[in-house]
Amino acid sequence: MRAPLSWLREYVTVDAPADEIARRLSISSLEVERVIYVGVADVDGNLGRFLVGRVIAVEPHPNADRLRVCHVDVGEGEARQIVCGAWNFEAGATVAVALPGARLPILDVPLDERELRGQHSRGMILAEDEIGLGDDHAGIMVLAEGPEPGTPLVDVLPIHDRVLDVTPTINRVDLLSMVGLAREVSALFDGDFHPPAADDPAIVDREDVDVTVEDFGGCPRYIGRVFRDVSIGPSPQWLRSRLFLAEMRSISNVVDVTNYAMHVWGSPLHAFDRTRLAGARVVVRRARPGEELRTLDGTLRRLTTDDLMITDGERSVALAAIMGGEESEVTAETNEVLLEAANFEPLGILRSSERLALRTAGSNRWEKGVDPYLAEPAAVLASRMIVDLAGARMTGHVDVQSGLPERPVVRLRTDRASRLIGLVVAPDEQRSLLERLEFEVSPEWDVTVPTWRARDVTREVDVIEEVARVVLDRVPHTMPLRRHVRGRLSKDQRLRRLVEDVLVGAGLSEAYTWSLAASDPDSRAIRLPDPMTSDQAILRTTLFPGLIEAARTGLDAGAVDIALFEIARVYLPSDEQLPDEHWRVAGVVAGGYEAVKGVLEVLYAALQLDLRVERGQHSLLHPGKSATTEAGWLGELHPTLLDGVWGAFELDLTTLFAPVPERVVYEDVLTFPAVLQDIAVTVDEDVEAGALVDAAREAAGPLLREARVFDVYRGEQVGHGRKSVAIHLAFQSPERTLTEEEATAFRDEIVALLVERFGAELRA
Amino acid sequence: MQREVREFVATCHLAKGALVTSLTLMDPQALENDARAAVADASSTDDVERIRVEYLGRKSQLKLALREVRDRETGMALNALRERLAAAIDGREGELARAEIDRRLTEERVDVTMPGSPVRRGHLHLITQIRREVEDIFLGLGYTVVDGREVETTRYNFDALNFPDGHPSRSPLQTLFLDDDTVLRTETSPAQIRTMEAQGPPVYIVSLGRVYRRDTPDATHTPTFHQVEGLVVDEGITLADLMGTLDYLLKALFGEARRTEFRTHHFPFTEPSIEAHVSCHMCDGSGCPVCRHSGWIEIGGAGMVDPKLFEFVGYDSDRYTGFAFGWGLERIAVLRHGIPDLRELWRNDPRLLSQF
Repeated sequence: MRAPLSWLREYVTVDAPADEIARRLSISSLEVERVIYVGVADVDGNLGRFLVGRVIAVEPHPNADRLRVCHVDVGEGEARQIVCGAWNFEAGATVAVALPGARLPILDVPLDERELRGQHSRGMILAEDEIGLGDDHAGIMVLAEGPEPGTPLVDVLPIHDRVLDVTPTINRVDLLSMVGLAREVSALFDGDFHPPAADDPAIVDREDVDVTVEDFGGCPRYIGRVFRDVSIGPSPQWLRSRLFLAEMRSISNVVDVTNYAMHVWGSPLHAFDRTRLAGARVVVRRARPGEELRTLDGTLRRLTTDDLMITDGERSVALAAIMGGEESEVTAETNEVLLEAANFEPLGILRSSERLALRTAGSNRWEKGVDPYLAEPAAVLASRMIVDLAGARMTGHVDVQSGLPERPVVRLRTDRASRLIGLVVAPDEQRSLLERLEFEVSPEWDVTVPTWRARDVTREVDVIEEVARVVLDRVPHTMPLRRHVRGRLSKDQRLRRLVEDVLVGAGLSEAYTWSLAASDPDSRAIRLPDPMTSDQAILRTTLFPGLIEAARTGLDAGAVDIALFEIARVYLPSDEQLPDEHWRVAGVVAGGYEAVKGVLEVLYAALQLDLRVERGQHSLLHPGKSATTEAGWLGELHPTLLDGVWGAFELDLTTLFAPVPERVVYEDVLTFPAVLQDIAVTVDEDVEAGALVDAAREAAGPLLREARVFDVYRGEQVGHGRKSVAIHLAFQSPERTLTEEEATAFRDEIVALLVERFGAELRA
Repeated sequence: MQREVREFVATCHLAKGALVTSLTLMDPQALENDARAAVADASSTDDVERIRVEYLGRKSQLKLALREVRDRETGMALNALRERLAAAIDGREGELARAEIDRRLTEERVDVTMPGSPVRRGHLHLITQIRREVEDIFLGLGYTVVDGREVETTRYNFDALNFPDGHPSRSPLQTLFLDDDTVLRTETSPAQIRTMEAQGPPVYIVSLGRVYRRDTPDATHTPTFHQVEGLVVDEGITLADLMGTLDYLLKALFGEARRTEFRTHHFPFTEPSIEAHVSCHMCDGSGCPVCRHSGWIEIGGAGMVDPKLFEFVGYDSDRYTGFAFGWGLERIAVLRHGIPDLRELWRNDPRLLSQF
């Protein structure tokens, strides 16, 4: 919302400059997006060069058909001759004049005296767009009569102003009004608060106003007022200017009045051409099935039975609280007006406005819950202005309501407020700041909440917030006592970091890929009923497709030697409401099976685990080059998935971490040296190296400290379908030095078992 | 010395009159002269090694003679000779080794600006680095890190957090629903509730992870992003404690010279609520494009835990108070590292990954 300060200062007396008001408001009340400087500059007495003038005489320009020569009294005794191109005024008009030397926002250089087609011109009669008060350039501003010639223009129009661009939080719809903002400023600066107090016009030739509310749940209050002899016309310049600075478009006097009163009080109003209402009636009800309405913006809206409508008993005439209908719109011909100052329940309005994708200044307020008491001062202000500005008579008034809500009463413990805030705020100060916000505080500290805060402030803690926000910039910075804390990562959290660090050390970079995927290998994977895009429709059960995509991005970027990993959750379907979420680590690395196996060997070693794999199948892997482990799988990526040869793995971290020992216990590998022996055996091609190593361990027992395949040879010497596998053996005892003879005995037992089990032949 | 040996050996000849073959054939003086000449001629440590083998090795004349010697005097004399030769050889070897090192030191040069042998190095994702940094800050303060779940019930994601009916977050326009009662969490806050349900006060936790919103991706929005959630519940926790903690966090993240400012705000789960701002780290408050010329940067929301949350989990809200905050990690990445487009954090282009 835009709040011109000149307007705000009409309701609150404070000396503070705009920036200070903005700063305090932003700390204690609402977001101030910015302070906008509008109008003409206040430098070198510039403001003194803008004066109210009265046109004494207007003559045709002797040399130009489209110009006129005016004589304008600006309080100097002698009238100034000013050449003017506008035709919307005659002698006697009160106008705004800029004198030579004036700096205008639309000109780069000061205005100067000059000859215009041979006629001297000593100033300029101003149009609103020339001093930032509007966008109309069809004619000059004709001011209301009253101010004497020579009056500084700044006393009449906001030609030099600061406008606050503010956004209240959702609970502070009371701040979407000039009155609410002024009250807030008065509380923060202890300034005098004086909201507008319009005299309600007297009703003349009273007539009944026929208003029926069928749905008080949706419309708790409806004030209807009737005006006759309404002259629709343009609004006076001061009103046009204020609306312009408040970012509202001037339409006509009556429509402008409804917007103005909304801006002042925060309670939206609507004006109907009463003659367009069948039977001059108003019935508030939900829309009928299939009902349609063409709203003011010219769009035909299809309604549902949830939408609240203003009807004339026969047809809908407005989408309640959101937008009026085109047919009952106030036009230049209107002379009977029904003014609506109602109150609408927020939730239904929000739903209708969301469904219709139609948000207006009105719905923006209603959906946050407007105080039903505000309908009345808004109606009074608007009525006064319709009578004053459109020459109308008010002939009827009705206030239909289902009973207005009680004001909440809350007991405040001032010491609790101080304790919660962490700053001692004296009870007197708490009382005084609450009262400035128009909370009533009894001697016993029963706090009665003002009607416009009744939705938001219902508990003691809500009242404490009122105190806290006003003193917020005085609250000290302290630390909690922390008497019982244990600042430590859990085992799994520590190990997750270890996995990250080991993989980074092994040359893999961490990727982040989406939890939602276009497809998933698991047909039971959870599908969003209403995804944002088809790319993000399924909760993944594997990290793997995302990493393939990431690797592809790398290839496209021209990278070589790509190695990526990710640690993230997968979401496995379960029988419960919520899926099983599992932490996984997955990787994709350039190179084949050996590349990924090497990475996992380093990872397992870092976790103090043995990597044991078995041949296995996975739909995304090369069938001959894939394996499983207890925690997951690894292998060479299926060649159809990505160009080149790639290794890939995915492990479940809970399974992976379960056997990780809490601590490593010292083992004496230093005192007694190991005895090293290597063997090479020939076996059939399909005998797996791992099986040979397992057999070696089985045969030799615990003194075989290490058994590692270090070479595999195929060739004529070993025969077709056979291979030679060389295994490095290290025997070691923590208790004594093993002899060569003992080692040889173990070695012989190993060979014997290999021969027996695999038909191995010893080569060396 | 040499003369003494020669005389000594000659004396042996004369005294014993009967010498064994090798000894008889060997002229110690000539041997020593030859050896010394050879040592002096040696031009490399390899030469010296050859000389050592020739004159002192297992098959050298001297070694053979020593093996055959029978009388003490001759043995002593020959041993002395062996020691002298060994010393001479060692000395020459040392000289030559030093000379060789000296030569290498003068002759060998590398172009020190040439690249080293390549070692592949991976990189942690920027968001992980920030996540760890934030975790470590709070671990240092004694907090525990809690892993919350990502698919949540509306009960934990909204109801328990006091989201009113009609709150925009409850709308499918803003939130990804799995069914009427199940959502992808829209903030990390459900972890607060689950933690409080699982344990009594005091609570000092942070919870970091992915959150999901129905935001159309653009430079400043991705439908998945990361938050850090903090929750403290204890006796006597104050708004001042919250502000002190966030001040500490912000200075740790953005520099000790930063100033912090806290502004009133509104959230369903906190009362009072505040929003933290930090003085701009680019311009230090004088105004620049990063802070949109305000001098301040908005970081995120926080507040005192609403008593309704305590009611929900069965904490005594008269005895305990608490604070909570929930911030985006991406925002820290954008502000501190100048990431121009959040979508890039999910594209995994190696050129970007390897920057951090």
